[in-house]
Amino acid sequence: MGYGRSDSYRVATTQDKDDRSPKKKKGAKDMDDLKKEVPITEHKMSIEEVCRKYQTDIVQGLTNAKAAEYLIRDGPNALTPPPTTPEWVKFCRQLFGGFSVLLWTGAILCFLAYAIQAATEDDPSRSARSHMFDRLSLCLQLYLGIVLTAVVVITGCFSYFQEAKSSKIMESFKNMVPQQALVIREGEKVQINAEEVVGGDLVEVKGGDRIPADIRVVSAHGCKVDNSSLTGESEPQSRSPDCTHDNPLETRNIAFFSTNCVEGTARGIVICTGDNTVMGRIATLTSGLETGKTPIAKEIEHFIHIITGVAVFLGLTFFILAIVLGYSWLEAVIFLIGIIVANVPEGLLATVTVCLTLTAKRMAKKNCLVKNLEAVETLGSTSTICSDKTGTLTQNRMTVAHMWFDNQIHEADTTEDQSGASFDKSSITWISLARVAALCNRAQFKAGQDQLPILKRDVAGDASESALLKCIELSCGSVRAMRDRNKKVAEIPFNSTNKYQLSVHETEDLNDNRYLLVMKGAPERVLECCSTILVQGKEQPLDEELKEAFQNAYMELGGLGERVLGFCHVLLPEDQYPKGFAFDTDDVNFQTKDLCFVGLMSMIDPPRAAVPDAVGKCRSAGIKVIMVTGDHPITAKAIAKGVGIISEGNETVEDIAARLNIPVSQVNPRDAKACVCHGTDLKDLSQDQMDDILRNHTEIVFARTSPQQKLIIVEGCQRLGAIVAVTGDGVNDSPALKKADIGVAMGISGSDVSKQAADMILLDDNFASIVTGVEEGRLIFDNLKKSIAYTLTSNIPEITPFLLFIIVNIPLPLGTITILCIDLGTDMVPAISLAYEAAESDIMKRQPRNPFRDKLVNERLISIAYGQIVTAGFALGGFFAYFVILAENGFLPTTLVGIRLNWDDRSCNDLEDTYGQQWTYEQRKIVEFTCHTAFFVSIVVVQWADVIICKTRRNSVFQQGMRNKILIFGLFEETALAAFLSYCPGMDVALRMYPLKPSWWFCAFPYSFLIFVYDEVRKLLIRRNPGGWVERETYY
Amino acid sequence: MASTEDKAAKQESATGWKDSFYNPRTGEVLGRTGSSWALILLFYLVFYCFLAGMFALTMWVLLLTLDDYVPKYRDRVPYPGLVIRPNSLDLSFNKSDPLKYVQYVKHLESFLQRYNDSQQDKNDDCPPGEYFLQDDTEDMSKKACLFKRGFLSLCSGLSDTNFGYSEGKPCVLLKMNRIIGLKPRGDPYINCTVKRDTPIQMQYFPSEGRIDKKYFPYYGKKAHESYVQPLVAVELLLTKDDYNKELPVECRVEGSDLRNNDERDKFLGRVTFRVTVVE
Repeated sequence: MGYGRSDSYRVATTQDKDDRSPKKKKGAKDMDDLKKEVPITEHKMSIEEVCRKYQTDIVQGLTNAKAAEYLIRDGPNALTPPPTTPEWVKFCRQLFGGFSVLLWTGAILCFLAYAIQAATEDDPSRSARSHMFDRLSLCLQLYLGIVLTAVVVITGCFSYFQEAKSSKIMESFKNMVPQQALVIREGEKVQINAEEVVGGDLVEVKGGDRIPADIRVVSAHGCKVDNSSLTGESEPQSRSPDCTHDNPLETRNIAFFSTNCVEGTARGIVICTGDNTVMGRIATLTSGLETGKTPIAKEIEHFIHIITGVAVFLGLTFFILAIVLGYSWLEAVIFLIGIIVANVPEGLLATVTVCLTLTAKRMAKKNCLVKNLEAVETLGSTSTICSDKTGTLTQNRMTVAHMWFDNQIHEADTTEDQSGASFDKSSITWISLARVAALCNRAQFKAGQDQLPILKRDVAGDASESALLKCIELSCGSVRAMRDRNKKVAEIPFNSTNKYQLSVHETEDLNDNRYLLVMKGAPERVLECCSTILVQGKEQPLDEELKEAFQNAYMELGGLGERVLGFCHVLLPEDQYPKGFAFDTDDVNFQTKDLCFVGLMSMIDPPRAAVPDAVGKCRSAGIKVIMVTGDHPITAKAIAKGVGIISEGNETVEDIAARLNIPVSQVNPRDAKACVCHGTDLKDLSQDQMDDILRNHTEIVFARTSPQQKLIIVEGCQRLGAIVAVTGDGVNDSPALKKADIGVAMGISGSDVSKQAADMILLDDNFASIVTGVEEGRLIFDNLKKSIAYTLTSNIPEITPFLLFIIVNIPLPLGTITILCIDLGTDMVPAISLAYEAAESDIMKRQPRNPFRDKLVNERLISIAYGQIVTAGFALGGFFAYFVILAENGFLPTTLVGIRLNWDDRSCNDLEDTYGQQWTYEQRKIVEFTCHTAFFVSIVVVQWADVIICKTRRNSVFQQGMRNKILIFGLFEETALAAFLSYCPGMDVALRMYPLKPSWWFCAFPYSFLIFVYDEVRKLLIRRNPGGWVERETYY
Repeated sequence: MASTEDKAAKQESATGWKDSFYNPRTGEVLGRTGSSWALILLFYLVFYCFLAGMFALTMWVLLLTLDDYVPKYRDRVPYPGLVIRPNSLDLSFNKSDPLKYVQYVKHLESFLQRYNDSQQDKNDDCPPGEYFLQDDTEDMSKKACLFKRGFLSLCSGLSDTNFGYSEGKPCVLLKMNRIIGLKPRGDPYINCTVKRDTPIQMQYFPSEGRIDKKYFPYYGKKAHESYVQPLVAVELLLTKDDYNKELPVECRVEGSDLRNNDERDKFLGRVTFRVTVVE
């Protein structure tokens, strides 16, 4: 409905004249072609030209033969579905992507080492030493290989099913109803499948239909279409055969594929079908866009680099050492492989996956459905949010905001209980205004909603009229009753030439036989029809002073981005229009001049209640919020100001110019922090200028943007290094959604295409949910750091025993099985529990992380995990327990050094200990395995302290508290599991773990305590000296 | 555009890669300046020294709690293992080729050095059939019972320096592992069998393969310095029929409470070995 101001915009928004201006983009040619604006020209042709072009007839339509020929030539009228990845490819991606590569490499190395040894098994020249070595490492390699493979496969399956579950929810969004279309072929109307529609077909659409293809309208009767799926703006637009605009997207005589006809009928010639339609181009553009890796995927890749570096470094060091110590090449290679493999954190993949899944679940509870598990963290890294306006920031529901009557602007009261009344409702002018608004209004509530609050009821009718209806219903009671009392006798509906709507009613007063004429429409048009104005209930002549007052009010309301309607009425004199007068609405036979102006009412699609708060939170979290909308600049700016995207006190260049009363060109653009950029201007900008805008303005609104421009804006932000989130609901947003680091689609109002393109879906359509997403994303990033720090710390102590075993020839202090028990058993729950850890400080008050500097795993974390906590606690604690057990059983450390060869010699059954006792192989192996168990238990004991250390990165545990119940559970769980593994009968056979004497549990206590104190001191120093040496070297 | 971006990124990473080793502009080696390296290395030096000190301290405390004479726990060695000398579970030799069995003979000879009369004369000849229990004395040292080489008679290597190997009747010495405080009940003796249908003749020294109780208990290396384990020698009296065959022999400690049938530990109170004599 092109009322008043809305139309004046159209003038201001001259559209992209040069639609095909070449963009300076290299790369795939057709993609660039798609990024350009729509190349439709038919709207500028006459109907005859169009008919000629498609060899069709305006009355008869295509011949069946021609249609069949075109169908073969152009293919069916359907969007090529985006190439769906086969399930097995998705599965393989889970199985071989990212972190799994590390584990696979480990597994392959294991099998390789096993194969090498198996191949040399029969080598007759084997010494006794290599004999014992075989037994040990054969087991080790094969076990480890199998377990690594199992871990990868299980985790792969887990995340595959997790994502499959999300996509299943997606499936339910799909609307699978086949579309039908009414076409005229050889002069006959036939109902055919929409897929068979071809270019040149004459089609008929009526209210409720979906437009089957892009059509050039040749005739229309009150036809209105809802282009929301294309533009995001749900305001119905009328369609007529005349070309009203150069831009095909703006002109009235083209209706687009997959938009809806809401009322009226139209007939048109199909000009584009399938992928060539405007919608098809956007869909193709969307599916053709390549998306980069998610930030977390990049982080994990970086982590893999680090861990591989460390592993290879350690491996090579000890390879050389082994050679120097006189081991054979083969043994040294096996050491090398063993050490590299031991560095692989087996449990980490599962931990990371579970942590992300838990967060995804938590977010789903808060109405953020995450399609791609890795996208969970992306919102946390986001530094720019490009948000669509309609439906995301606003409610997508017109509401009366202001009224002007009695020469005063009043704020409308939209509260359900009318508690916010700001004006005198007894004013006669108001009563008249309300009556006009109620009567000259075709909207009505749909049946059966009486129990619902008025604001939530569904209305049949146009958005503006619905807004008026609700407003009047709220303030004056039942509109239906009012309409019943004032029966309608005649009506002229709105049309674009009149730009007004009027109706004639009987009056309420039964004794009064006069008719009441009410009119509403574009304010300037309505005012033209008036000669008087109602002020304080009295009719006054409309003099210049009052006209100026009207102009000022009109300008002011228009300036707020609101749509303004004017209202007037008149009581028709009884002598001219007696009761029963036949009003003729086609050939107007009654007075439409010298009416009495009553007032103005203005409407806006108000921002969602939670949005200003959410925008504020984003801002304090250092996230730049950019509005990118297809709506008009003034409305966009008004909403931007309303929700805080343009904050109070910030001016645009135009504002400064207006304030200083100087031309816009004289204002230094640097002075303006805010910027409202028009799509037309955007098109002419070079890349540098674009970057300039994005860099120099903190508060930006892009208005009247096309889908392609949205994409370009997103690319611009990414070029500047930002991690961009895009929110949107329409098909027009989908290229941008796809290109964004994280696309956020709307679950209720969003189109299928946008949901397909997005990584995340807001189930409640509420922008505020994004803030939750950001918070969860940042939290999981921090917590993943902690989880990784925790898991890695138990990694090195698993290697050191092996190293000492090689270097000083002591019995192996920690076996493969116990390593696996730690990595995949006791470590899992505490590592996962760290995902539940609360934030240390207000994570929404700090800047988004810099993807180039703030890494998930950095050298400081490695240094802390490998260099400090590990050596301090685990290795020493474990070794201490090992030495205690051996010493208390008779083998003092002095005896142990160099004992390895005999110790591992199966045929030596009288090995002498320090006290002169002699041990059979089996007897001393039981002691050795008891040592493994004790080492394992010591690691668990030190992990108690470690998990408490890892809870925080800066705060003291005493500040953070122990409120994480899962973590406490984890502590008990790992202890119980350790006790179970040690004491459960049968474990000696199954896992070769033996019961420990109670005193052996306490061996690691001093070390556990030591690392706790050490880390508390470290954190204290970090807090005391921000930016100091300790922080620089150890804050991860 | 995208390609130029890539290029720039590549260049950057290339210089970044070189710079990460040595950056001439800032003088950084592996991302750190000299003083920064010094500081972090100093930190780690101090840190590790401290840790080493801490570890040494706990180890010292551990050693303080230990007894010099008896280990704290002996429950992991409740029963002794049984081992043979020569120290091989696969005795295989040609009786007419001294080169093949000389290693066994030498081994036995060196093993029996401690049982020479010159050594054993210092030890006591204690009463047989009962434990040689000794109370703690001031210097904790304990006396040992003598076990002379001569007790082994034909297998002593005194009369036949080849321990029967040259005749195809090899001697095998059996000994029980030393375990502090072990006091076997009953009268332990060694019994060997050949795991096949037809038994072979065996001769035990001392007679019936008895292990006298007087050699128990053992008081540990430090207190019981001159202790020698009792031995049992078994001479396999092979005949012509037994040559050129692999004979699996199993010996067990019998007649006492010492375990000899543990499922997992095949050397607990028993030992199995193979003998192959080639003519």
